[in-house]
Amino acid sequence: MITKKDLENLAELARIELKKNEEEKLLADLEKILKHFEELKEVNTSSVKPMTGGTFLSNVLRDDASDNRVSNEKAIESFPNKEKGLLRVPPVFE
Amino acid sequence: MKNLADFTIKSFHDGLLNREFSALEITQEFFKHISVRDKEVGAYLTLLERDATIQAERVDIMVARDEAVPPLAGVPFAIKDNMLIEGVRTTAASKMLESYIASYDATVVKKLKKEGVVILGKTNLDEFAMGSSTENSAYQLTHNPHDLGRVPGGSSGGSVAAVASHMAVAALGSDTGGSIRQPASLCGVVGFKPTYGAVSRFGLIALASSLDQIGPITKTVEDAALVFKVIAGKDPYDSTSVDRPVGAFEMGLSKNNLEEVRKLTIGIPKEYFIAGLDNLVARGVEEAIKKLKNLKFEIKEVSLPHTKYALSCYYIILPAEVSTNLARFDGVRYASVAAAEGHIKNLRETYFKNRGLGFGVETRRRILLGTFVLSAGYYDAYYAKAQKVRRLIKNDFDEAFKEVDVILAPTSPTPAFKLGDKVLDPLSMYLSDILTIPVNLAGLPAISIPVKKYPLQDKELPIGFQLIGKHFHESDILNIGQLYEGLE
Repeated sequence: MITKKDLENLAELARIELKKNEEEKLLADLEKILKHFEELKEVNTSSVKPMTGGTFLSNVLRDDASDNRVSNEKAIESFPNKEKGLLRVPPVFE
Repeated sequence: MKNLADFTIKSFHDGLLNREFSALEITQEFFKHISVRDKEVGAYLTLLERDATIQAERVDIMVARDEAVPPLAGVPFAIKDNMLIEGVRTTAASKMLESYIASYDATVVKKLKKEGVVILGKTNLDEFAMGSSTENSAYQLTHNPHDLGRVPGGSSGGSVAAVASHMAVAALGSDTGGSIRQPASLCGVVGFKPTYGAVSRFGLIALASSLDQIGPITKTVEDAALVFKVIAGKDPYDSTSVDRPVGAFEMGLSKNNLEEVRKLTIGIPKEYFIAGLDNLVARGVEEAIKKLKNLKFEIKEVSLPHTKYALSCYYIILPAEVSTNLARFDGVRYASVAAAEGHIKNLRETYFKNRGLGFGVETRRRILLGTFVLSAGYYDAYYAKAQKVRRLIKNDFDEAFKEVDVILAPTSPTPAFKLGDKVLDPLSMYLSDILTIPVNLAGLPAISIPVKKYPLQDKELPIGFQLIGKHFHESDILNIGQLYEGLE
């Protein structure tokens, strides 16, 4: 149902480098889990509306204004790579 | 001075006001006890002795000046390490966040600090709260204090083990599919998951946002109510949080209130007494039902027909949300993984190396599973289907709550299992959550209460049962729970 190629594609989409020796076990585990999910086919859901979240609230609005719950200094301080009060990130274009 | 094992929030508060001890003395006693006992239990990832000492001294000054002392002031607390404390390392038990220092307080932490709580430290968990045994922590194992060869449950295993081994009077945990209640049941303490939206999750490292809820882990139901009262309420930083009066349950039951509580009807869902239910659990829960019958509660059978599908439903919806929530851990923000450094040539490798080396086995498994169920061609068959089944599970509860006020069920299908027993077989581990998951899918409040109080007999393992209430009817389950614990 799920092939080695599928798994490699998923890892590509999820940006996770898999270790060579873990693929087999992962495939077997996923296979077993997906097989368990087959039971959902028994449930008739033809006229059921999906439940899309945990809350029954709608249109929760707030003022469109910034606040300083976390100061710039503290936010920068918690960033792994910084220089002179600026965030240092890897180059995006090569 | 009292034995540390005898402290509840209530008895600590009374003793403090009666000048039987100082907050500082007790804080120091706790750290002394932790320095010995935690070597074998492994509940704490980080200890905060300096901050705790300063806070305890502040409380002692309040007492000395006869200022109003809030009920939680000075109480030695533990916080699960997926909630942020400003200036303190917060790891979510992942290598991904090994060097991450939080830049603000989670709302729950802010509220506890305002009350004057003494935070002793941050506790172990399954990585990003994914697991049922705390064995998925990237740092250490936590052992069940009743039998060190067994798991404490999970994912809030550290918080629960800390309370159960008297290394904290109370703790906070988070419950996405049972992560407060299941370990509470396995370690013989009280674990309370409030209604979805009752407590702000701002500053909780998100696992599955449509399911996550923060709640207290305590020795008594009365203590759980005290903590809940402090942490509940609307927070502009969590748009799912709701302003609701928390109900009348605090400080024990008045006589009038008692008669009202006895009018509540309790339902027993037949689908929860499944084939795999351990004999000890079945007997324990029967014992609890018998005691409540003796209290003259009306008890009747109810049916929640879609219960058996909850596990599949949850393990589709949860990984889907995990795969999106954990996309933010890219090795650029928050922290980078030490082992990845020096191997990275470009941005693409930044992601692949950091995430490949930073996430543990279970985390990777769930991210991949979530990516699968959300991918084109599989979305309808898995994710959309699970969302519909989730509606049916919630409808089941709505129907049952037309007949009864509260539902009583076992919390975990088994007592604490042995370390290593299930960690290699994810599906068997997932089955440990089978009785707690439906509550999260429906967003209901539920509390796990030990069938029996301490001390248990030698080698006897704790058993818990859960009371499930209607949305925002925390008071019903807290009141029945307090009546139950008053029996002994």
